[in-house]
Amino acid sequence: MESLRERIESFLYYEARLIDEHQYSEWLSLWTTDALYWIPCNSDDADPARQAMIIYDNRDRLEERVLRLKSTSAWAQQPRSRTRRLLSNIEFRPIEGGYAVESNFILAEMRRSKQDIFAGRVMHTLRNNGDTFNIALKKVLLLNNDDPIDNLTFLV
Amino acid sequence: MAANDAVDYDALVREDRVHSRVYTDARVFEDEMERIFHRGWVFVGHASEVPAPGDYRLAWVGRYPIIMVRGDDGEVKLLSNRCRHRANTVCQIERGNARFFRCDYHGWLYRNNGELASVSYPDGYDGSFRKEDYGLIPLPRMANYRGFVFGSIAPSGMSLKEYLGKAAEQIDLFVDLSPEGEIDARGGIHKYNYRGNWKLQIENSMDGYHPNFVHKTFFGMLRRKGMQNPTANFGGRSIAVTRDFGHGHVMLDYRECNRKAPILSVAPGAPEYREAMVARYGAERAAEIISSGGTHLLVFPNLVMIGVQLRVVRPISADETEVYLYPTLLKGVAPELNQWRLRGHESFFGPAGFGAPDDLEMFERLQLGLKNELDPWLILSRGIHRERREPDGTRVGHVTDEVTQRGIFREWKRVMTGREEEAERAEGVRLAAVD
Repeated sequence: MESLRERIESFLYYEARLIDEHQYSEWLSLWTTDALYWIPCNSDDADPARQAMIIYDNRDRLEERVLRLKSTSAWAQQPRSRTRRLLSNIEFRPIEGGYAVESNFILAEMRRSKQDIFAGRVMHTLRNNGDTFNIALKKVLLLNNDDPIDNLTFLV
Repeated sequence: MAANDAVDYDALVREDRVHSRVYTDARVFEDEMERIFHRGWVFVGHASEVPAPGDYRLAWVGRYPIIMVRGDDGEVKLLSNRCRHRANTVCQIERGNARFFRCDYHGWLYRNNGELASVSYPDGYDGSFRKEDYGLIPLPRMANYRGFVFGSIAPSGMSLKEYLGKAAEQIDLFVDLSPEGEIDARGGIHKYNYRGNWKLQIENSMDGYHPNFVHKTFFGMLRRKGMQNPTANFGGRSIAVTRDFGHGHVMLDYRECNRKAPILSVAPGAPEYREAMVARYGAERAAEIISSGGTHLLVFPNLVMIGVQLRVVRPISADETEVYLYPTLLKGVAPELNQWRLRGHESFFGPAGFGAPDDLEMFERLQLGLKNELDPWLILSRGIHRERREPDGTRVGHVTDEVTQRGIFREWKRVMTGREEEAERAEGVRLAAVD
């Protein structure tokens, strides 16, 4: 029997693998209908009511993001990015119906002979779904969210 | 061209084509810095970014690091970010509020209006040293049109008003989308960079020929959602037009397409918004403002205004560029309407948007293609046979025509060949004769 920590870590690793291996439909199926995929811009605590975000996807927009990733005419992903990421420093606490999980990540992205390194902290809100989880919120605090980024059209 | 020869700009830019080196040659870039960015009017920022005394933001005019700051006297100033002692930058943080700027090297202290407040251990300087001679040097010229702050490193030249010309009316349309006639440019900043020449961004911003190809996935998504789809606006039978106002200020004008169903008519709180606009501007002017949708304008060389955003282009080198996008908030509208603007902006723009990253991909491919000079020319002739002039001199063409690119390069060539100075000298002579 897996411990709670093992279940949460396994889920995060599974999500990371789906992204890195371009299994977008499977990745999308992890999300709840009230999903929010959020990458703040300029500062970690930027207010979406008054400021633009790098990403602020509700479920509809998340589906569009996946459609673009599957398209052959979303030019910023032609050729597409190859990525691999490491997750660490995983901490979690129970909340109603699930867990609030935080982790650190390092992500290497390779495209057009250029490798970029991204890093930051991710806040997941996971909802219980039988033995596993769904993602209600994924908020990514990028270290470089106030610096120029040329292409963040892959999944973080 | 030998290494030390002056570049022949008449040879590189013709009416209907430009040479690859305009985008690739480091000497051309040096000349652009000196002749365009270190001489003419350059957009710095919007006054609403620094609303309170002491508010500041770092900025660039060409290669010059500067500080846009509202002094304790309430006036916006453009100060050099360079200590008068030994040249350290005196402000390091991009945005903030400060009563003083201190140089951390030897402790010289400046007030936020630029005056030198104190030097450390002043008895090391004799009586000939006067503090009032050593303030942070303001940019030689600064002018503000409706909160848009421009600076110029040249002490003289044409006024901003004269420089903007008819482009000022488009700035009005952008700002007057607010029923209070004021915008707030603190809606966050999208920052991106690309490995390509800065002119690729300004040309592309004013290119009505590319959207149906570069942005087909985005338009496809709008179609899928049953939303207003701009494909027809950029097609061969579109009634939208390109305009060239002179001085490199050019635009895509969709007002005729928008009159029936302006984008703002589907915004949250649209009826109340419309009412407030009519109350402020009258029905006719309100309809004109709303159908302009916040314009689609280039103020040469470095400011683009599209719908919601200000876009500021910063050349780094011949093949490296940084771009900052400032989505703006409208004063006097419901918070939901501003949020709708922000979410709409995010959907297309920024490094993870569904549109702008595809443009950047085009720039990097283009910059690569430029290296092959077997035929070194880029063709800007589209629609040259059907371009027309309005009585005020504005050149007009079909939205897919390269009226805008030709307008940019007409100004570029004028400035790069130094004809501006000739014209000014002639003007000076004429005025002297009148005196």
